[in-house]
Amino acid sequence: MFQYDFMQYAFIAGTLVAIMCGAIGVFVVARSLSFVAHTFSHIGFAGAAFAVYVGIEPLGGLLLFTIASALGIGQMGVKMFRRDASISVILSLFLGLGILFLSLSNKQANFTASILFGSVVGINIQDVWQIVGLTIVVILVLAVGYRWLKFDSFDQVGAESAGLPIRWISVGFLLLMSISVSVAVQIVGALLVFALMTVPAAAARCFTQSIFGMILVSSILAVLGVWFGLVMSYYTNAPVSFFITSFEALAYFIGIVYQRLVNRYRVAQLN
Amino acid sequence: MLRQFQVDDLQVSFNGEKVLNHLSFEVFPGEMLAIIGPNGAGKSTLLKVILGMIHPQGGAVRMESDKRKAVIGYVPQSRTIDEETPIQAKDFVSLGLPAKIVPWLSQKERVTVKKAMMMTESLHLAKKPIGRLSGGERQRVFVAQAMVRHPDVLLLDESTANLDPNAQEQMMQLVQRLCKNQGITVLFICHDLHMVKEYSDRVLFMSRRHYETGSTDEVLSGKALEWLYHSTDDEKPKKTGLFREQRDRVTDHLF
Repeated sequence: MFQYDFMQYAFIAGTLVAIMCGAIGVFVVARSLSFVAHTFSHIGFAGAAFAVYVGIEPLGGLLLFTIASALGIGQMGVKMFRRDASISVILSLFLGLGILFLSLSNKQANFTASILFGSVVGINIQDVWQIVGLTIVVILVLAVGYRWLKFDSFDQVGAESAGLPIRWISVGFLLLMSISVSVAVQIVGALLVFALMTVPAAAARCFTQSIFGMILVSSILAVLGVWFGLVMSYYTNAPVSFFITSFEALAYFIGIVYQRLVNRYRVAQLN
Repeated sequence: MLRQFQVDDLQVSFNGEKVLNHLSFEVFPGEMLAIIGPNGAGKSTLLKVILGMIHPQGGAVRMESDKRKAVIGYVPQSRTIDEETPIQAKDFVSLGLPAKIVPWLSQKERVTVKKAMMMTESLHLAKKPIGRLSGGERQRVFVAQAMVRHPDVLLLDESTANLDPNAQEQMMQLVQRLCKNQGITVLFICHDLHMVKEYSDRVLFMSRRHYETGSTDEVLSGKALEWLYHSTDDEKPKKTGLFREQRDRVTDHLF
């Protein structure tokens, strides 16, 4: 399997994206931004389609559209974008725009499939370097702003009263999310980005009781999911994304059962 | 420790409606000042102005401390804590530590968290998930989070409102101990006049029409309270001079 360059690239890029999504996902879940992440991926789809239409790299279009949206959402306030109606309007608008840009360009079926469902085995060494660079940027910013971000994500009232610049933290986090989504879209596709960004983090909450522990478990689950997906896809020829999401969903349900068993054990100990 | 705390001519309006209308009063270092008054009088707004969360249209809050800048701790009535959030209480307390670029906690910071939890008698809760704690336990953890910054001033916004009478007493006793032992100045909003009588040194009464400070006994005397709650004076608030200031008594314990 590893004798092929495309599989080596897929493993390197997939692992980096998984670590990034696993780490950032803990804050996405804590800040109740799961569906904003989903919306970003559709905005990214429109961006990628726009990039193809004007003849630039898809990643450029993805970043352009998602970063502009992050700044727009940050300006108007995140609360508005948590509303179901707002999400539906924006999501459908950008999906429509994406279809328009695709219809205006010549590339249709192949490109649509690769952006919507991902094409991890289709990436080249240049893509790998782009992903390495962006992942390092995201993880470094996450590490430097970790304390502010965790305070604001897990106790917004406390963070605001302690004088933290919560508006800037919010905008900064949306920018990180937009970059992560743009990178991850290439691996798992626009439709399943939020699976990698939210399911491992949701599962991690069942296994650990510290914020750093959640980041660690979430990243490990995401990486294992991507590796499992790549190996299974190689041997079965079925889509990678299917195996990744199945693995993460299984981890989540095991987490729920584990948490219930632990709670029962604690209650039994108390009695 | 706080040296001076003065609120001068504070004016705050929301959508053209005056919420704080030329409010002035002084807080004495090391005292417990209860803030009472009917709903909508601007009590929570006042605390938010002191915290810097709301910028007043006029007036100012002046604080002087031994430190470079006075540090304020805040404990609200409730916080939106998801019951499923599995964060341990000690992690929650550590969120309040001053921000640093290094993501992990130093040994000194761990000791600070432990001390704050000991001070608020919540050390035994350190490893319990915050979402699973009772109301009273949570409030103690919230106070511990405020304490890790070594505050000069502690603001409590109806922080005992959702607690049973026993937990209310325990919470207020804890705050009183922090005030007396650590020299922290406490401002607390409270609707329970029994608590106000028991734990405050002085009282600030606020309504849309009047602002009044006085000793607890004076403000809580039946006649004065009735006059304050039912007065139908004109729109412009003013100090009526009904109460006199008693600075000496409240600062006695500091010397």
